[in-house]
Order: sequence, then C-alpha cells, then structure tokens
Amino acid sequence: MKAAYALAPNRGERWLRNASVLYVLLLVALPLSTLLWFGLSDGLVSLSSLLRSNVARSALWLTFWTSALVGVINVLLGTLTAWVLVRYPIPGRSLISALLDLPLAIPTLVAGVMLALLYGPTSLIGQKFSAFGMPIIFAQPGIILALLFVTVPFVVRAVEPVLSEIDVGEEEAAKILGATPLQTFRTVFLPAIAPAAVSAGIRSLGRALGEFGSVVVVAGNIPLQTLTAPVFILGEIEGGAPRMAAAMSVLLLSIALLLHTTASIIERQVGSRHA
Amino acid sequence: MNAHPTLGRVATANGLLLCLALLGCGGKASSPSSQEQSASPQAAGPISLTLGGYTTPREAYGAILPAFQEHWAKPRKQELSFKESYLGSGAQARAIAGGFEADVAALSLEPDLEVIRKAGLISHDWKKVGSHAGVVTRSIVVIGVREGNPKNIKDWDDLARPGLNVLTPNVRTSGGARWNIAAVWGAALRGKTASAKANDPESATKLLGAILRNVKNMDAGARESLLQFERGVGDAIITYENEILVGQQKGQKYEYVIPRSTILIENPVALVDRYVDKHGTREVATAFLEFLTTPAAQRIYAQHGLRPVLGELERELADKYKQPEDLFTIRDLGDWAGTQSKVFDTGSAYDRALGLASGGT
Repeated sequence: MKAAYALAPNRGERWLRNASVLYVLLLVALPLSTLLWFGLSDGLVSLSSLLRSNVARSALWLTFWTSALVGVINVLLGTLTAWVLVRYPIPGRSLISALLDLPLAIPTLVAGVMLALLYGPTSLIGQKFSAFGMPIIFAQPGIILALLFVTVPFVVRAVEPVLSEIDVGEEEAAKILGATPLQTFRTVFLPAIAPAAVSAGIRSLGRALGEFGSVVVVAGNIPLQTLTAPVFILGEIEGGAPRMAAAMSVLLLSIALLLHTTASIIERQVGSRHA
Repeated sequence: MNAHPTLGRVATANGLLLCLALLGCGGKASSPSSQEQSASPQAAGPISLTLGGYTTPREAYGAILPAFQEHWAKPRKQELSFKESYLGSGAQARAIAGGFEADVAALSLEPDLEVIRKAGLISHDWKKVGSHAGVVTRSIVVIGVREGNPKNIKDWDDLARPGLNVLTPNVRTSGGARWNIAAVWGAALRGKTASAKANDPESATKLLGAILRNVKNMDAGARESLLQFERGVGDAIITYENEILVGQQKGQKYEYVIPRSTILIENPVALVDRYVDKHGTREVATAFLEFLTTPAAQRIYAQHGLRPVLGELERELADKYKQPEDLFTIRDLGDWAGTQSKVFDTGSAYDRALGLASGGT
C-alpha cells in the first residue's frame, strides 16, 4: 500500500487526509447509511410490500426503461456531438459548448416548466402532436425529453477530451494504409472513445433514475401510467408511508451504486490500457 | 402514519451519536428546556405566536392576524408579533411533527392534524375544542368549468364522458385531492349520481375509474392544479369552491358547478401543546383559536371564499354560498380513518379505480 504514495505523509498531510475522509463520511456516508438503516430496519417487509404493489412496480419499470433509453441516446448522440465539436470548425463553438453545460446549472424544475410551456397542451407544438395522437407533456415522451435535457452534457464532456487527445498520426497512418473512413473510425477512434462514451452513458442513466424536479412537472404523474419512481417516493412521503418511500429509495440507490461501479470498472480498464 | 417522526428521530439520534463520538460536540444540542421557559411570566414582555398553516387561507390570515392584534394585544398593551409559515397541509403537518415549533396548526384536514397528535405534540382532544369541534372554516368540493360551461358539465357523471380532460391533484401529496375523491366516492355510494347504485362500492369504483381515466395530469397540490387550469389545461377541474371564488376575485373567467351531491370540507385548527408550553404562549394561542370563530374572523374567511362555521353568517351569506341538494360530511362515510383505509390505502378503492383507468388506455 505504502509504495503507492510518492512520499510518506507528514503530520499535516495526515491531518488533511483524515479531515477530508471525515468530510466525505459526514456529507455522504452518514445520510446514506441513515436511509439504509431506516429502509432496512424492518427487514425486507417494506421491500416486499413495495414489490407487491403494482403502482410501485410500474413506477420502477417506467423509470428504468426511460432512463436506459436516455442512456443509449446519450451515448449515440453525445458521441456525435463531441465528434462535431472537436473535429469541425463551427462558428460559435464556445457558445454551443457553454449551452451544453447549462442544463446542469439551472434548477431541473425550471427545465420541466420550460418543456411544459414549449410542448404542453396549450402550446402550438403540443396541440399539433396531440392531434396526431402523440401528446408529449403529461405522457412518456415528456419524461424522456426531460431526462435527456438534464443529462445531455454527460457523454459529450467525457468523449471530448479523449477525442482531442487522439494522435493525428494514427489517423493519417490509417488513411495511408488505405483504410476507408469507416475503417479508420472503427480501428482508430472507436476503441479510444467507446469506454468513455459507455461509462458516461451509464452515469447519465444513473442520474436519470433519480431525476425528480423536471419529471414531476412534465410527466403527468398518473399511477400505473406516467408515475416515475422518484415521484412515487414523494407521494409515499407525503402520504405518510415513509417506509415504502425508504424501500423504493434503497432500491434506486442499489441500482445507482451498481451502475456507478460498472462505469468505474470500465474507466479503470481504459486507464490501465493507456498506461 | 406516525412512522415519519421516527425517521426524523432516527436521523437526529444517528447524527448526534456520530457527532458526539467524532467531534465531542458537547451538550449544545437543543434539549427542550420547557420548564425554564414556561416559568417565565408571559404577560409583561413581548410575545410571539407562530402559525403553521396550509396554503389556501394564507390571504385570509393576512387580514385576520392584524384583527387579532387589535382585539387581543392592544387592550393588554402587549407587543404581539406573528411568525407565519404556509405549506401544503401534509407537508406542514410533517414539518411541525418534525420540529417546526408552531404554536397553532391550521390544516386542511383531520388526518394531517392527527399526524401531529400522534407525534405526541398535541396532547388534548382537539376535536372537542370550541363550539365547532376544532373546525374553523368550511368549503365544498365543486367542479370548475370554462367560461359559459361549453362542455355542459352538470354533475360527477359528466366528468366520466370520454374525451374530456379533467384535473385533480395527487391524493398522496394533496389533502385537497382526498377531499375530491371522497366527494365523488360519497356521492356515488349515497346513490346521488346517475350511474352508480346506492351503497354499491363496485359501481362507485367504476364511476371513479371512468373519471380518473380522463385525468391526464396529477399535480402535487390543489393550488398547482388550479394554476394548470388557469394556464388553459383541462376542460374541468375538481377543486374547492373557495379556490374558484378566489380565482374569480382575481379576474379569472372560469365558473363552477355544484354537483347534486358533494362533501362538506372542514378545515381544523389546533394549538400544539408541546410548543405552546415551551414558548409560554398557551394563553395567547387559546385566545387566538377562540378569535377564529368570532363573527369578525369568520367574515374575513368568508371574504376569501371560505364558508363560515357560524349559523348566523351562513344564513346571511346564503346567496354567495349555495347549498347543494345533498351535502354530506366525512362522518357520513364513517370517519377519516375508515375512509383512508377503505378508499385511499394501497389496494383500496382508489387503487382499483386507477387500475380501471389505466386498463382502458
């Protein structure tokens, strides 16, 4: 273990290390352990009654599939966006780049309200879509749009640095050796960016699972139809069933933990390959 | 229901333990020093009363608090200040149960006050206080419609018509929504709707399901739901009469119809024993509660769309507040606890109705 440190920590550094570990414990581990303790304090009773409720099951499934879909869309379109941002000279690139970060900066509730104004049943666009039998707001497309909005920077920001680090020489070599553009992409670019894109996609999925503020505005929140797991949790808390809320939270937390571990493993493998 | 305060207590206990173990943060954590505080004489010095209310009557309290100031504090030459907090009824109940030290809790419905009582903060029987069983305001559940009632909505059955878009909030987060569902449910069970047979839960569930099928969006609270309606969403909204009246006062053009049979909403108020004793405010809180059912305060409530509990005022305002053909209370359906388990708990009538509603789409 000790060999990993460049220098043995002196007293001040040890103090700093302990303080920052304590900080993380207090800030993150303590609240989460309280949740786990409360959620599991009656054994698996709450969890099993949660899974027996069809409202809860449908909320969980809706949250999972919309988030997964959003993860996949993020991987594909996020990579494409990063590609374009890095490799093509676009006018106002810094503006577009700044735009991409905005969804993380504004309250997601505001994001939801914007989407509802733009695509809601009283808007022109919303009415057109409703006329085709596909309402956006208060329906599943609204959930997906909201989740995409709040997770858009994840993959773009992960793929961009990887892309710009790729040696131009490799690309030129591939061309000289007669590779088609597609082959060049597959052999030179894809191996480098795929892990970053996939791990960021998984992280965006994890983020989407817990999204509340924007979804509660656009989803409609009808049990069995458009009620997502985080909104379900609110309902259980407000409705005086904190154990059901805690059980659902523990479930979401476990899924998120699993996803983040997967993403980390993918990232670590890439790291070791580069070294 | 009382599991929630447990969550708070667990968290606090956990936090304190760790805090003590790691940092040795001493005995500064606020232990209730009620004896010291209540021992101090309250009559002389300035006094502060904290009101934890639900959002609907906020504007009414804006006028009632100064009136109480005139009525109570001025003759005593005592400096009285108010602290006010307004939240959704359920959220306010949990805030108070979780440590928001309100002397007086003014909530939307009985189960929310019961949350505070079950947390051990209200130790008296608040339903026996005053001449009106702890209730200070009333309203009825009505159907809000667009100007001129273009969809010709007259009664609950009309809301089940295919193709309508009906608004009602989420019953888990909104006390108002529970009044709404109880109104439809009760009207159906009493045989006062066209489609449901009397005393037949099956056909009542069916009617409820058909109405819920037309609900495309459930907002978190009654106010949000009405805002949605004001934004142009929906053909009809199930809501309180007072919400519509206040909206109309602010220039909204919507109208409302009173269904043939609907429920009388009763909003309770109670003083919170634990906190009035801690703050030494029992006397002023008691006086405040009594003041709320005086004609002066009741008139202010009535100006803000709420029905008075005083018979004399009720007769005086009979033109503004029309009587439905069949008006029932929650006690006609049993009581809140029974209605909660029969209608709202997991797997009960409301859940089955939701099942019917989603099955059709």
